[in-house]
Amino acid sequence: MTASSRAQDSADRIYFTLVALIGGALMIYFASVPVLGLNVAFHFYLMLWITMASAFNVSSGFSGYLPFGYVAFYGIGAFTTAILVKKAAFPVFLALPFSGVAGLVLALLFAPTLRLSGIYFGIVSLALAGICRLVITNMPEEITGGSFGLQLGSRAHPVQSFYVMMAVMVVALGTILWLSRSRLGKALRATRDDADAAEMMGVNVPRVRLYGWMLAAFFPAVCGGVEAWYTNVVDTETAFNTLITAKTVIYAVAGGLGTVTGPILGAVAMVWLDELIWRQFPLLNLLILGVATVALVLFLPRGIVGSILRRKPQWRRFVP
Amino acid sequence: MELLILNGIVNGLIVGGVYALVGVSLTLLYGVLRVVNFAHGEFVIAGSFFAYVLFTSLNVPPLLALPVAAVAFFAAGWGLYYVLIPRLSRSDDPELMSFLMFYGVSITAAALMLLLFEADSRSIDYSFTPISVQVGPIYVSTARLVALTITVAISAALALFLFRTLPGKALRAAIMNPEAIQIVGVDIVRLSAFAFALATALAGVTGVLVALVFPAFNAFSGTEYTIIAFIVVVLGGLGNPVGALLAGVIFGLAEQMATVFLPQAMAQIVGFAILVGTIFLRPSGLLGTSARK
Repeated sequence: MTASSRAQDSADRIYFTLVALIGGALMIYFASVPVLGLNVAFHFYLMLWITMASAFNVSSGFSGYLPFGYVAFYGIGAFTTAILVKKAAFPVFLALPFSGVAGLVLALLFAPTLRLSGIYFGIVSLALAGICRLVITNMPEEITGGSFGLQLGSRAHPVQSFYVMMAVMVVALGTILWLSRSRLGKALRATRDDADAAEMMGVNVPRVRLYGWMLAAFFPAVCGGVEAWYTNVVDTETAFNTLITAKTVIYAVAGGLGTVTGPILGAVAMVWLDELIWRQFPLLNLLILGVATVALVLFLPRGIVGSILRRKPQWRRFVP
Repeated sequence: MELLILNGIVNGLIVGGVYALVGVSLTLLYGVLRVVNFAHGEFVIAGSFFAYVLFTSLNVPPLLALPVAAVAFFAAGWGLYYVLIPRLSRSDDPELMSFLMFYGVSITAAALMLLLFEADSRSIDYSFTPISVQVGPIYVSTARLVALTITVAISAALALFLFRTLPGKALRAAIMNPEAIQIVGVDIVRLSAFAFALATALAGVTGVLVALVFPAFNAFSGTEYTIIAFIVVVLGGLGNPVGALLAGVIFGLAEQMATVFLPQAMAQIVGFAILVGTIFLRPSGLLGTSARK
């Protein structure tokens, strides 16, 4: 065994210990929230934002696309679950996977946009989200409930939906952890940094991009479905609210794109801050969100984890 | 039916003039600074509120508010440039990060206007006498005609400025080749600050016109105008001021015609469809010859 592979082994050991510690702590903490009688709503949304920001990271951190219409997937997922449950009498547990499928279908529909880059991609994504919202708003009232939206009736079950949200988060984080060390993840990063060079190395660029894009679309769609179940009501104003995109992007960037821990840390820090501000100054919430975004871009463009790793590049091997 | 179409054309020209101004200021900004101002619509609506405050508290008529808004917004833009842009250009990918930063500026501006004016829709209760003028077989409100005249005048002045004066030529040169212009001895930072201030001033002035042309505006109307500005800028070709003027009028006509021929819901989608279609089929815009990636 050579010295370098031994160093790699010990780095791996630290890496997996960190994964187990952080993952275990997160799971035990969240699992005990309803048992200990902590604030279920707060932690539900914390998990939702961790999932959203982490999934967004697959698109922006790993693949280098900034979809400013990210809310489209969330909204489609919310409406899929609501319509199936309300109009086709599906049980919620059966409807949720369909939300994920709807997200994947939408990702396939939007796949041609992947050949755009930079701001063109961002602008088109924004426009497509606008089209999705308008199409659903203008569907017959019998299907989408018109401007009143859809009420899911007596199916709400906060604790059950809490644990489902937790399962979704765990699956999402597990997938992204796998992705960050997998061949696909490496191919995505290589494509992001230099598509031509990646192609020369034998990476099937369009396919790799599509896989990354579908991963990024699946989880927000499921999140939308679970949130629809949790709040029991879906309408176009809230399900396609641009603030959902804004928060996802800001939380992910705050933590640091491109690492697994970044969006988790970013979401935890910002949701907690958001809650604190919300309780103190409900009117200033939006203002502070905006100012925080500007400040982030100007003073911490690489996010919390990204900035630490820039100072200590040797830690890169240990940090998930 | 002919009357409806004629109405559509006249209103399309009027609305299109406003869209052209919204677009031309955003395209100047992108062309010179390579930043994507997501908050452009909020700057426009801030101009509308500016005119609203001047009118309701000081009784200043909108026409007089125009030059005041121009000066005030020019100064604000100049200051904002030095707060935001120098630091931004130090990040890894300034163009993409600018999108995110101005997203924050947009939320901030909307939140400020919400705090100051609440969520209700506002309008300026000012009318010209006579209220409307007969143009051929149709009636058009005087306010809209005045707005059209002003947009034409501003566009002409802007074209003269860009093509006939030295600072205007410097701006166009900076759009074409920002490196070469520095070799010739132009202070690119000052020129960029000037471009930012000019774009903000144009946005403010456009906001005053928005208050004249459209029935109402509120703190959250900004996003609509940002999207419209994007459509116009992309249709005219990124960084192409003449293209933006033309695209604004074309989009205004298309939008008004769509409301004549299509159900209202479909008409809203037309704009988005134009945007997506242009980017895929003709990414360099209407007048563009060479595609910039």
